[in-house]
Amino acid sequence: MYSHNNFIQTELWKGGPVPGQFYNFPGTSQDINAGNITAPGLYGSNRSSSPITTGTSVIGVKFDGGVMIAADNLVSYGSLARYQDVQRVFKINEKTIIGAGGDFADFQSLKRSIDQKMVEDMCYQDDIEMQPKSLYNWLTRILYNRRSRVNPLWLEMVVGGMQDGVPFLGHVDLRGRAYEDDVVATGFGKHFALPLVREQISEGRLLSQSEASQVLRKCMEVLYYRDCRAISKYSVAVSTAQGTIVQGPFEVNQNWQLATLVKGY
Amino acid sequence: MHKIQSFPEYQVPGAQHQDFSPYESNGGSIVAIAGEDYVVIAADTRLSSGYTIHTRKQNKLFQLSEKTVLGSTGCWCDTLALTSLVNARMQMYEHLHLKTMSTEAVAQMLSILMYNRRFFPYYVSNVLAGLDSEGKGVVYSYDPIGHCERTTYRAGGSAGTLLQPVLDNQIGGKDRDVKNKPKVPLEKAKEVAKDAFISAAERDIYTGDSVILKVITKDGITEEEVQLRKD
Amino acid sequence: MSIMAYNGGCLVAMRGKNCVAIATDHRFGIQAQTISTDFEKVFQVNPRTFLGLVGLQTDILTVHDRIMFRKKLYEDRENREMTPEPFSAMISNFLYEHRFGPYFIEPVIAGLHPKTLEPFICNMDLIGCPNKPDDFVVAGTCSEQLYGMCETLWKEDLEPAELSEVISQAIVSAFDRDAISGWGATVYIIEKDKITKKQIKTRMD
Repeated sequence: MYSHNNFIQTELWKGGPVPGQFYNFPGTSQDINAGNITAPGLYGSNRSSSPITTGTSVIGVKFDGGVMIAADNLVSYGSLARYQDVQRVFKINEKTIIGAGGDFADFQSLKRSIDQKMVEDMCYQDDIEMQPKSLYNWLTRILYNRRSRVNPLWLEMVVGGMQDGVPFLGHVDLRGRAYEDDVVATGFGKHFALPLVREQISEGRLLSQSEASQVLRKCMEVLYYRDCRAISKYSVAVSTAQGTIVQGPFEVNQNWQLATLVKGY
Repeated sequence: MHKIQSFPEYQVPGAQHQDFSPYESNGGSIVAIAGEDYVVIAADTRLSSGYTIHTRKQNKLFQLSEKTVLGSTGCWCDTLALTSLVNARMQMYEHLHLKTMSTEAVAQMLSILMYNRRFFPYYVSNVLAGLDSEGKGVVYSYDPIGHCERTTYRAGGSAGTLLQPVLDNQIGGKDRDVKNKPKVPLEKAKEVAKDAFISAAERDIYTGDSVILKVITKDGITEEEVQLRKD
Repeated sequence: MSIMAYNGGCLVAMRGKNCVAIATDHRFGIQAQTISTDFEKVFQVNPRTFLGLVGLQTDILTVHDRIMFRKKLYEDRENREMTPEPFSAMISNFLYEHRFGPYFIEPVIAGLHPKTLEPFICNMDLIGCPNKPDDFVVAGTCSEQLYGMCETLWKEDLEPAELSEVISQAIVSAFDRDAISGWGATVYIIEKDKITKKQIKTRMD
């Protein structure tokens, strides 16, 4: 029917966007690789309806001139503290950092796609880098597409960085639910860390960088005491106008003197 | 469960089976009131699920054009997907027809987009406010599968049931001894919308923090924010 | 569908300045089918005390009878009028006695203390958890709508005439957004020297 103007329908480059059509994100129905994810095999199809190897809380805070994301270095296997020296916060490029909780295998596979995009960015040699908001939005689409097929990537992520010189901090979860705020947290961190950080932020004022790292240190300590899926070792990714860096691992302050007073168990 | 039983090595006590629901209710309420030459639309800024408040400053009003604003609450991920789809389609319309979509056209399109997902709906409560092609204020409200109704006022979202009778009473002039309904002035509409949210925040835990109010007139769109209770 | 919403109906009570008000709708139905439109759910139990019951109609009648029986025993034994506060406590106890096989009703009590004339309002859930706020109480299938209305219209120290207007507007606007409440309303304004009963005509759909 549209054969006379078929040239309009052709994609700009192989696997690239088609003018007048929506760009197909990797993992969507029109993607050539999509079949691998949900196509039934010999014994029917399998979906990850539960996480297996998991990371616990991630906490992100904005400070004046940048963003910090902290997470401990544990990846659990059920209640087993299986992998105790794993980074869960990452530098994506000089403008973007990310932290992940939830199924770590899902994150690793997603991280490979992100790293591939960074290589592409580098190949252009045009000094244009992916900004945090682009990554954040890309993740919402990937996660939303997977949840819409009831086959979610079991993740809860914090994305941060410098967006056009302004600190950016966002949160994305396994359904593609996303929001931005001055302080975000996942999992247990929502209950323990958020109040501790908010206590430090007086109305309309951001923390300084050292205040931010101190409050994150306190958060990781409290989480270590109370979250059974947390360990005492944590790492922090920092993004400022100067660039991004992953610091650590650090050891939380521990004080178990109180423990001798706890009776009745 | 059967899946896991066929992989006995996954049957460790810690790794337990969790059912995944693609939907989640993230709360939020919308109120929209249309007048002769204006329309007011307001939404609270709390994003929550269960007893957890994710953020206290999530804007739920999406400005689609100079004359149209969409308020959307419910499952927040569906709201994000739906609004970005609407934005993309409006962009395409503009490229094709070299003009901005009218409020009526957006209203019809929104209904179609939502009905397209009839058997896996967008779990959202939408209220569309704007000026029609004659410059009159209009409000369109939707159910999750795209049923669309044109009205002059509407309350939607988690406190919709609390607030709709308030609007019937204060704006619609229902049940009152009013022979010929007086036209609602803009200031009255704004006050009723704000009061409605103050009331809703008292009784609905999913509504609160603050309310963003947008007023659309032929001169453009103005915005104001009123603080609500934060508990 | 919940058994509490089998017959439909709603109640609201409000506190004013030296007065209280209680209002009821008139509908009695079986799910969507309306059976009668003159079923008032508010009963005068004493000169200045009113009891409203919504929920399952058969339980409304039973609970009303059994509460009146207990109240009369109390008044005969004590040889004095039962004041609203112990009357509410008695209902609460009665309902909790049936904790694991409850009557499917929610009571609303409104009245003035016979001696001090202090206004009193109270409502309960079906197992008798009492709630005695100083503004208003609601019950029934359109309780959410009533909360919205009361929260916007009610203010402190309303005079009887104003209170009557506020409670009427509240219940009528609320049940017009509920398919199984409405079909007329009755409002009682309780003052120290008079009881005013007002029948309100409403839309009958």
